[in-house]
Amino acid sequence: MTERLVHGTMLARLPLLAFVAWRNLWRNPVRSGLTISALAGGLVMVILYSALLEGMVDQMIASATERTTGHIQVQRRAFIDDRDLYATLPDDWAATLEAQVDRIHVAPRLYAAGLASSKQTSYGVMIEAVDPARERQVTSVLDHLRAGTAAIDRPSGDARPRHQVLVGAQLAKNMQLAPGSELVLVTQAADGSIGNDLYRVAGILKPLSPDFDRMGVLMSITAYRDLMYLDEGVHELAVRLDQPDELTVTQDRIRQAVDGLVADRPLDELGGPAVVRNWREINPAIADMLALSETMLLIIGLIVIGLAAMGVLNTMLMAIHERTHEFGILLAIGMKRRWLLAMVLCESFFLSLVAVAVGVTGGIGMVAWLGEDGIDFSAALPDGYDWAGMVFDPVIPLHLVAGHVADASLLLIAITLLAALIPSWRITRLKPAEVM
Amino acid sequence: MSLLKLEGIAKRYRQGETTVHALADIDLAVEAGEFAALVGPSGSGKTTLLNVIGGLDAPSEGRVWLRGTEMTALPEARLSDFRLFELGFVFQAYNLVPVLSALENVELVMVLQGRPAGERRERAQHYLELVGLKEIMHRRPSALSGGQQQRVAVARALAAGPRLVLADEPTANLDSENATALLDIMHRLSHEEGTTFLFSTHDVRVMERAERIIKLRDGRIVSDERIETEHPADLA
Repeated sequence: MTERLVHGTMLARLPLLAFVAWRNLWRNPVRSGLTISALAGGLVMVILYSALLEGMVDQMIASATERTTGHIQVQRRAFIDDRDLYATLPDDWAATLEAQVDRIHVAPRLYAAGLASSKQTSYGVMIEAVDPARERQVTSVLDHLRAGTAAIDRPSGDARPRHQVLVGAQLAKNMQLAPGSELVLVTQAADGSIGNDLYRVAGILKPLSPDFDRMGVLMSITAYRDLMYLDEGVHELAVRLDQPDELTVTQDRIRQAVDGLVADRPLDELGGPAVVRNWREINPAIADMLALSETMLLIIGLIVIGLAAMGVLNTMLMAIHERTHEFGILLAIGMKRRWLLAMVLCESFFLSLVAVAVGVTGGIGMVAWLGEDGIDFSAALPDGYDWAGMVFDPVIPLHLVAGHVADASLLLIAITLLAALIPSWRITRLKPAEVM
Repeated sequence: MSLLKLEGIAKRYRQGETTVHALADIDLAVEAGEFAALVGPSGSGKTTLLNVIGGLDAPSEGRVWLRGTEMTALPEARLSDFRLFELGFVFQAYNLVPVLSALENVELVMVLQGRPAGERRERAQHYLELVGLKEIMHRRPSALSGGQQQRVAVARALAAGPRLVLADEPTANLDSENATALLDIMHRLSHEEGTTFLFSTHDVRVMERAERIIKLRDGRIVSDERIETEHPADLA
C-alpha cells in the first residue's frame, strides 16, 4: 500500500471539504435560512445595542466635557476637598495658560453657597460665576436656555440697574421664578460680612445636573465679586481642548505650565497646591461607565448570540442525526474522522459567515435608517435623564464603531463553531458498520 | 500469495444476556482477479463478513490479510488509509453523496487520495463512460434512477484503483433489467481491470455470473466452489 499512497495534508483536502460543506449548507434551505435568520437577528440586536451604548457614551462624554466640566480643570486642593472660598488661583492664569499651551481655551469660575429669596419663598442655592465671553469658548452652558436670555453680562433695564442671573429649572419652578422675576441672594461674603443684593432673573437654564437644576444660580464674575467682596482670584479654571484625543498630553503640558507659574509666584499654603485633573478624574462615575460599557457589550453579545447559537446547536444536531448513514459511508470509503469533523465545522463556519454578512448588513442598515438623530425618548423624558450627577439629552444618538461590529461578528463565528463542536464530536465516534 | 486471506475469523455480539455468534471459524483465501459471491440466507453473516474484510468492523477472533498486510493489526488511522487505497465499496442502497454530481461523487475518493485534479477528472470520466453514464455525469443522484446510481457507485469504487471491491447486495434494490446490466458491467470490468470482486447476494442472477460461490449458513462457510461461467458479457 505504501508505494501507492499519495501523501497530502488536510489542507490539501480543505477545498473539497469546504465545497461539500457549502453544498450541504443549502441541502435544507428552509432550516438553514431559519438558523441564519436567528443568528443574523441576534447580530443585528448586538450591533444596534452597541451603537446605542456607544451613542450614550459619546453623549456622556459630551455632557461631561462640553456642558459644564470642560476637558480639564485646574483648582486648589483645599477647594476640591472643602470648597474653601479662599483657595483661589490668580486671575491672570487663564490668559497665561492659553498663551503657554497650544490649542486650549480657558474659562475662570467662582463658587459660593447662599440663600435665595423670592416673593413667595426662600431656598438654599449654589452660586456659580463665569466670564460669559470665555465660558462660551469652553462650554455651552449659556446656550442651554429653557426660557429668557443668557444676558448675565448686562445689567437689567430697571431704573436702578441690577445684575442679572440664570437659575436652574427646578429652582425656578420651586421658587415660581420666570424671566424678569426678582431674586434676592444672601450669603456670607469673603470678608465675613453678610453679602446680599437684588437680582433680576434673565433666563431659566435647562437641566444640566441634578444639583444645579435644584439649586443653581449662575451670574457673571463681576456680579459675584460685588456680592462676595472677593476682589481677586478664581476657584476654577475650566479648559477645553481643540484636540480632545490629546487629553493626557495636554494635561501634562498644563501641569508643567502651572508648575512654572507657581515657581514664578508661589501660591499661599492654606489653599494647597494647584491640581490639574481631566474630566475622567473629575467624573469617575462616567469613566467607570465607559469601562463598564465594554464589559456590558460583551455580556449582552454573549447572551444574545449565545441564545441564537442554540439554534445552531439544534440545526447541527438534526443535520448530523439525519446524515449519520452518509457519514458512515464516507468513513467506509476512507475519509478520515478528522476530515469529516473539519467538513461539518466548515458547514457551521459557512452558516456563521452568511449570518454575519446578513447581520452586519442588517445592523448597519438599521443604524443608518435610525440615522444620526438617534432614538428619541423625549415623549417619556422631556428633560432627559440624569445619571451619575449629570443630565443627558432624551435623544440618544447612535454611533457605530467598526471595531464593535468586527468583535460581534467574530463572537458570533466563535460561538457558532463552539455550538457545532458538540454535535460534530459525535461524528468522530461513529462506527461505520453500525450506522450503514 | 493470495490477495485476501482470512484465518479463524469469528464475530460475536452481546445481545442482552446472550451472545450471538455472527461468524465462526471462517478461513478463506481469495485470489487476485476473482469474481466471487458470498451467498446465504438473511442472517447468515454475509454483511458481517464483508464488514470485517473491509475493516469496518473488528473481528472477535482471527486475522485478515490483504496483499500480505494484516489489516486486523492496523490502527484506526492506517486502516482508514488502507480502505482509501486498497478497497472499493458498493453498497446496497447506492450511498452517493446527494449534494455532489455523479462526476463529483466518482472524484470524491480520488480527492481524498490526493490525486492531482487533472488525473482524477480523467479517470472519473473514463469510468463513468465504462458504466455508460458519461452523458449524464453532471446530474446529482436525485436526478438518477436506482440503476444509474448503483453504476455511479461502481464507477466510484473502481476509479480509486482498489485491489478488492466489496459489494454488499449490489442488486438488491434494482429491477431485473438494471440488475443484469450492472452485473454485466461489474463482470466486464473485473476482467478488463483485473480487479477482484467479492459480493454478498442471495440474488440468483448474481449467482449465475459468479465464478466462485461461497455459501454461508449461521456464520460458517458450508461450501466453497468454483464455477465455470459463460454468459453474454463474457462472450462479447
